[in-house]
Amino acid sequence: MSELDIVTRGLTKVFGHFTAVDNLNLEVEAGELFGLLGPNGAGKTTTVRMLCTLIEPTRGQAKVAGYDVATEPAKVRRNIGVVSDGVLLYKDLTVEENLRLLAKLYGLPKVKAEDRIRELFELFKFNDKATRQVKGLSSGWFKKSMIVAALIHNPKVLFLDEVTSGLDPQTAIALREFTRKLCDQGVTVVWTTHIMEEPEKICDRVGIIYEGRLIQIGRPSDLTRSISELSVIEVETPNLQSGLIDKIKAYDDVSKVTYEDPILRVSCMRGGDISEEIVKLLINSGARVRSVRPVEPTLEEAFVSLTGGEEEIDRFLEMSAKG
Amino acid sequence: MGLTPLRDLLAVAANEFRQFRRSRTAMLISLVILPLFFASSLGGASGSATSRFSPTAKVAIAFVDEDMTWTSTLLREVLARSGDFDNLVDGLMVDSAVSSLGTGRIYAAIVVPKGFQDNLLRNQTGRLIVYMDDSEPFISQRLTSALTNTLTNLRTYSGTQQTQNMQSGQIQIIRRGAVFGGFSIGLTIILSLVVVFATFYEVAGGMSREHEEGTYARLSVTPLSLGALMLGKTLHILILNVIRTFTVLGLAIYVYGAQPRAEIATLLTISLLISLLTIGFGFIVSSFGLTVRAVIIIEFFLILFLFAFSGFIIDKEMLQGISRIISFLLPWAYGIEMFKRTILAGQPLLSMPIPLSIIAFSTILFYMISYFLLKVSRERLVT
Repeated sequence: MSELDIVTRGLTKVFGHFTAVDNLNLEVEAGELFGLLGPNGAGKTTTVRMLCTLIEPTRGQAKVAGYDVATEPAKVRRNIGVVSDGVLLYKDLTVEENLRLLAKLYGLPKVKAEDRIRELFELFKFNDKATRQVKGLSSGWFKKSMIVAALIHNPKVLFLDEVTSGLDPQTAIALREFTRKLCDQGVTVVWTTHIMEEPEKICDRVGIIYEGRLIQIGRPSDLTRSISELSVIEVETPNLQSGLIDKIKAYDDVSKVTYEDPILRVSCMRGGDISEEIVKLLINSGARVRSVRPVEPTLEEAFVSLTGGEEEIDRFLEMSAKG
Repeated sequence: MGLTPLRDLLAVAANEFRQFRRSRTAMLISLVILPLFFASSLGGASGSATSRFSPTAKVAIAFVDEDMTWTSTLLREVLARSGDFDNLVDGLMVDSAVSSLGTGRIYAAIVVPKGFQDNLLRNQTGRLIVYMDDSEPFISQRLTSALTNTLTNLRTYSGTQQTQNMQSGQIQIIRRGAVFGGFSIGLTIILSLVVVFATFYEVAGGMSREHEEGTYARLSVTPLSLGALMLGKTLHILILNVIRTFTVLGLAIYVYGAQPRAEIATLLTISLLISLLTIGFGFIVSSFGLTVRAVIIIEFFLILFLFAFSGFIIDKEMLQGISRIISFLLPWAYGIEMFKRTILAGQPLLSMPIPLSIIAFSTILFYMISYFLLKVSRERLVT
């Protein structure tokens, strides 16, 4: 087994009465590109912030690049690079000036720092953008500036938090390719996203985080297979009785049912067959069905379906806690 | 390895200067307009450094002459020339003068009763009656003091029931104690204000901006220590305050002709002590993760406190109750006191151990508290 660059044991973060990350157990190998996937508010960014030493865990342990985030934060910081929406550059300074400052703070000798800055600018084709103030850059170049800033000291572990949001498709593709190359060179990357297709394209492994809990870890191909089988229907049926909703929930392949009068939304894994059954049940029970239409699943529905619903999540967490 | 904190703090200071240089408007306001505005306002209000300042000079005071002799006329002239009574109101009768008190038209009435000259010539006690507006105790006290000084050689009996024997008819005005130009008195507070106003905003506002713009989080994921960050920002602001102090003093000395009795190095040292005190306080405020707007509101309160409780408007000794306690606890008031004692009386810095110790102690305390608060509020500042 190769070296582990990230290890967490029972990592938990509680804000007041809200548990943002709950008992996270995770292992990421050196040079691995690990995707952390989850809907907004699932706990991805909080996890990254704990691993980056920006916030302290409430409970549990985490080691990054071999150092404990709670007891050796300075050593962790020397070995990590972070690209995140809340970790920005001085907008009145140029990209070059920002990089020089960071190079000094990471203790890079002047000549080495200048070489590294030139190398990164060439790699990302900055040209004249390097001497522009950060506030004058487009969102694509702004994101690139954040990436080169995170890479200035050749970090061992790189955290890319929702890094493609706001990027045009070409830049996003180029960034994915570049990240893959970094991993091939031995850099460990944690890529957080809420876009389901992203990890499939580049990640070695994906962890699904939902309501603060890591509910599944696996290869992206397993994830894709599961998603393709998921379908969601919306039925317009006013004044639906709660007993009928319970009957629909009882179907084996139905993973999630919501009802906001008059819209009944059902997500299930068997596609058309189950839709027909549900509509029949509604009509036979005397419910008025105005329309039925298939819709795109939300991320939350996809995650719940993937994990087989709340009961499956609990079972998975029990198993992962045992070992 | 041992030089890392020094390297880091210099990197932070250099970064602060680089950003400061980028914003020409901020640079202009902070280093030129702010010091020039305050110093020029003072100059405009006081005339010049050589003009004498008296709190009773511009106050309307009735002069009621019932004696109508050469002595009473001379007395009026002496009072008018003293610089303490520039706004004497003539032609009023005693009754109308007394009834005008409390209306804001006049604040006091000096009455020379009939027989004033005769009494003096007979070597008896001359008697002056002074009516004062009780709603203005500050003016009453100043007026009594100014009148006593003016009439020293008349050796009269005034409304304050003080009796002395008349030795001769000679009239001469002797001013007692130090007489300061209004500009010099104002200079003490202006120097403090310029330093506190700019420093507080630069520290607390700067940190709030770092918090709002996500650069504090950026620094927090580098190996930079909190101590080096604080010292780097401190160094940057101290250098700016050297420039500001020289700007205000330069204007005061070369444009308005002020002659501070202290050496420039002493004034600069006091200015930097006040800066350090304010920087420490600014760091404390910044630990609450406030917005820049909230910082500006706090800044106005701080300046208001300085005006109200540091002896600028009302002497510290005259403050009562809670105001006196606030004045006692406000460390900036000791800095202003040090400015007064050096600029006006030429006292050396080390001859003021108590205010010096209070400022040094408060500064260390502020830095320690702010370091602790910034440590514990790190999460709030980086998210």
